[in-house]
Amino acid sequence: MSDATVNDAAKTTESTTSEPLGETYLDKFPAEAKVVRSALYSSFLALALGGLFGVIQTLHRTDFLRIMESETYYTVLTAHGVFLVIAFTIFFLVGVFTWAVTTSLDREVEDIRFTWAWLGTMTAGAAMAAAAILAGFTDSLDMSADVLFTFYAPMQAHPLFYLGLTVFVVGTWMAGADWFRSWFAWKKENPGERIPLPTFMVLTTMIMWYVATLGVATAILAFLLPWSLGLIDSVNPTLTRTLFWFFGHPVVYFWLMPAYMMWYVLLPKLSGGKLFSDPLARVVFVLFLLLSTPVGIHHQYLDPGISEGFKFIAMTNTMFLLLPSLLTAFTVVASMEHGARQRGGTGRIGWLKALPWRDPVFAGMALAGLMFAAGGFSGMINAGMNINYLVHNTLWVPGHFHLTVGTAVALTFMAASYWFIPQLTGKKLWNRPVALVQVVLWFVGMTFMANAMHRAGLLGMPRRTAEPQYDGFEYEAGVGSVAELDAQIALGGIILTLSLVLFFAVIIGTVLGSRSDEVPANGYADTLSGPEDSPKILDNLKLWFGLAVVLVIIAYTFPLLSIIERGGLFGPDITAFPQSIDIVSMAWLTVEQYATDTFTSATEVAQATIDGVLR
Amino acid sequence: MVLIVGIIATITYGTVGLGIAMVDDEEDTISPSELDEDERFSDPRVEQVGENEYEAYVVAQTFIYQPDPIEVPEDSEVTFYVTSRDVIHSFSLVGTNVNTMVVPGEVSSVTAEFDEPAEYGVICNEYCGSGHHDMEGMLYVVPEDEFDLTELSVTADDEVELGDDATFDVTVENGQLDDLETAIELEVGDETIEEDVTVPGDDTYETTLTVDSTDLGEGDHDWTVTVDDHTESGTLSVVEDLEDDEDDEDGGDDDE
Ligand code: HEM
Ligand SMILES: [Cu+2]
Ligand SMILES: [Cu+2]
Repeated sequence: MSDATVNDAAKTTESTTSEPLGETYLDKFPAEAKVVRSALYSSFLALALGGLFGVIQTLHRTDFLRIMESETYYTVLTAHGVFLVIAFTIFFLVGVFTWAVTTSLDREVEDIRFTWAWLGTMTAGAAMAAAAILAGFTDSLDMSADVLFTFYAPMQAHPLFYLGLTVFVVGTWMAGADWFRSWFAWKKENPGERIPLPTFMVLTTMIMWYVATLGVATAILAFLLPWSLGLIDSVNPTLTRTLFWFFGHPVVYFWLMPAYMMWYVLLPKLSGGKLFSDPLARVVFVLFLLLSTPVGIHHQYLDPGISEGFKFIAMTNTMFLLLPSLLTAFTVVASMEHGARQRGGTGRIGWLKALPWRDPVFAGMALAGLMFAAGGFSGMINAGMNINYLVHNTLWVPGHFHLTVGTAVALTFMAASYWFIPQLTGKKLWNRPVALVQVVLWFVGMTFMANAMHRAGLLGMPRRTAEPQYDGFEYEAGVGSVAELDAQIALGGIILTLSLVLFFAVIIGTVLGSRSDEVPANGYADTLSGPEDSPKILDNLKLWFGLAVVLVIIAYTFPLLSIIERGGLFGPDITAFPQSIDIVSMAWLTVEQYATDTFTSATEVAQATIDGVLR
Repeated sequence: MVLIVGIIATITYGTVGLGIAMVDDEEDTISPSELDEDERFSDPRVEQVGENEYEAYVVAQTFIYQPDPIEVPEDSEVTFYVTSRDVIHSFSLVGTNVNTMVVPGEVSSVTAEFDEPAEYGVICNEYCGSGHHDMEGMLYVVPEDEFDLTELSVTADDEVELGDDATFDVTVENGQLDDLETAIELEVGDETIEEDVTVPGDDTYETTLTVDSTDLGEGDHDWTVTVDDHTESGTLSVVEDLEDDEDDEDGGDDDE
């Protein structure tokens, strides 16, 4: 009975806005708002394209609708992977991080031209990589990058692909520099003050990113790019693969950190309460900084040429890495409960009802968090070495990361967009009910798709394949049938696509609307226990940076040395696939030829002149 | 607490169904362009190395496996040595945890126990190029009495002169460690010759069977040599006069 009254109370608060109106981000930082907006729009474009490719490949591999040859599937899959997990996530991240730094330090960026410069650099890089990938759709261009987002050698992409990735990453490095610069400037004016939590999150995440990207930068700049240009003949596939995963695991946390940030600083605010604990949040981010890189080898349990010992170390580190995620789950739930009780919620479970479920921002994030818990569970299973043998490279794996990056991150970003876009445009969210339906649809679609993918994976159905239907054998489905699993995957994919369409409808509807006074004020959640309760050492970024580097050195020196010792720096005479590099080497040859010709004729002319003079 | 139990459970759980050991760096590296000179991989095959112990040397390349199919007996422990001629592939028995990456330059070794007759699909689950989805093979675990590692080869005359002996050089190779007791049977025309043989383990038996061509008569005679369920066959021409080479060749061509 008391529940009913609570519900009513909750409803009245919801039907208006639960947050106070006031100065938006756009009002306060008009120049920065423009940058953040551009970053988010780039990210949405990537999401739209990636989503389109997602449904095409879903229907193709489940054999419901095939609009292309199976050979083309891998171009689509490369585009889906790269656009979504490189472009969509990271463009969104730089937008949110810029918001977080400026808002929490309460200062403008130091030099807006530099801010635009890094966004421009990232965009140029993304465009180059995208061009190389999309060129794979046409035979008229001798260019392709059908290497999937992991680009394992000896599979080779056009140099433009590697170059684009490099430029993109350099852009993110510049962005990090921009945020550090803001912090240094702020520190000078506020000596002795604690780093505001959102900025702290940005800085620790970026330190992790600098450490992690060293791996992929080395792989590309020292090996893959020169190799694709024909400057070196061969690479060591295990070395470039290991360097990729040096980066490939922490990049997962790079996607997750902005989502975590939203859960820590926005979610409690939306649920009407405060963040449970500031120190705990700091500890979580420090743990991620320290632990996320020295675990990459857990992606290589099945690789020959890497000793069992190194694999065990990676596995143990990975298990520790569960800790910060568990802490996050705990803090976030505790903060939501606080919020709910502030709103009049009571009871052991009853408080859940007092949460603003009708607010799409809140609902989206909370559902994303729920999926993350499921994803964490399937991730724990992945991380065990023995089970990994069963599910490695099966559909189980995409099942897992559509829960994590595909929902925990993507759904949080979409829900957060419903909060950010009004902040950045000063316009009221167009149609909250549609937005609410959108986030719920994503949740439902992903439940179908990911669940069926996990089950198909257990049957041994591989990932990354255009036709998981084979001639020689059939999968032994324990419960249900393969056809049923395929149907669920396809159904899930279609619901997800529908959800995306609604998302863009809401975003476009909002952007096309007119300025409104009814936009909530910019800000983020207060904390129940603030920074004053957390040890000062947590803010010692130099210390954490140093420790992170030491841990990486410990975890990677021996594996890398042993890989180089076995296969050599450039591998045992490895031939590139597909062999399409001739254009570039030919271009080189032409340039060389031209240079020699010019040189020869120049010497001839000189010789003639000298001869003439002498005569 | 739940977490700790969960962690321990995940770490220890595994090795269900097929007992397997982890892929690691035990094997030496190998140059992918020199597989044809390698003792193990120039001739991809299954070999017996102990009682109930077998080794399979497998080459993966875009987009096939060699050998295909792979045949092993029930109640056996098989170590697969797999390498790649080109890009990274995988060697994965569908629905089991025999699943390893196959990296050019490296040899993956995986040991599995097969208790009962079964059929397994072998697939490549690491993207290896535009035909990745076509890369499949089969592994048959066959009943013990249907399994052998026997290889039969026959060299025979194409043509003999009426009245001469036609010879058939038969080689039976026994790849298994136990002795192989069997019979070689030659059928040519209406003639049948049988020889009981015992081929020692891991050894080769050679014999020459002869048939008097007078018994066959002039003309073409199809022949088959059978050892268990292995057969070799061909055609023998018995001609009046071998000297007349040119003419006969023309005639031979017409026959074909
Ligand atoms: C409309 C929504 C989506 C659908 C229908 C969809 C569908 C799929 C399917 C079926 C696969 C497996 C393809 C295969 O392995 O053969 C896949 C792979 C993948 N998806 Fe999605 N997905 C969607 C959204 C997302 C989102 C939002 C993300 C991340 C932010 C994402 C990230 C990935 C990645 C990284 C892969 C692996 C690519 C690779 O193996 O190289 N997807 N997707
Ligand atoms: Cu393959
Ligand atoms: Cu493959």
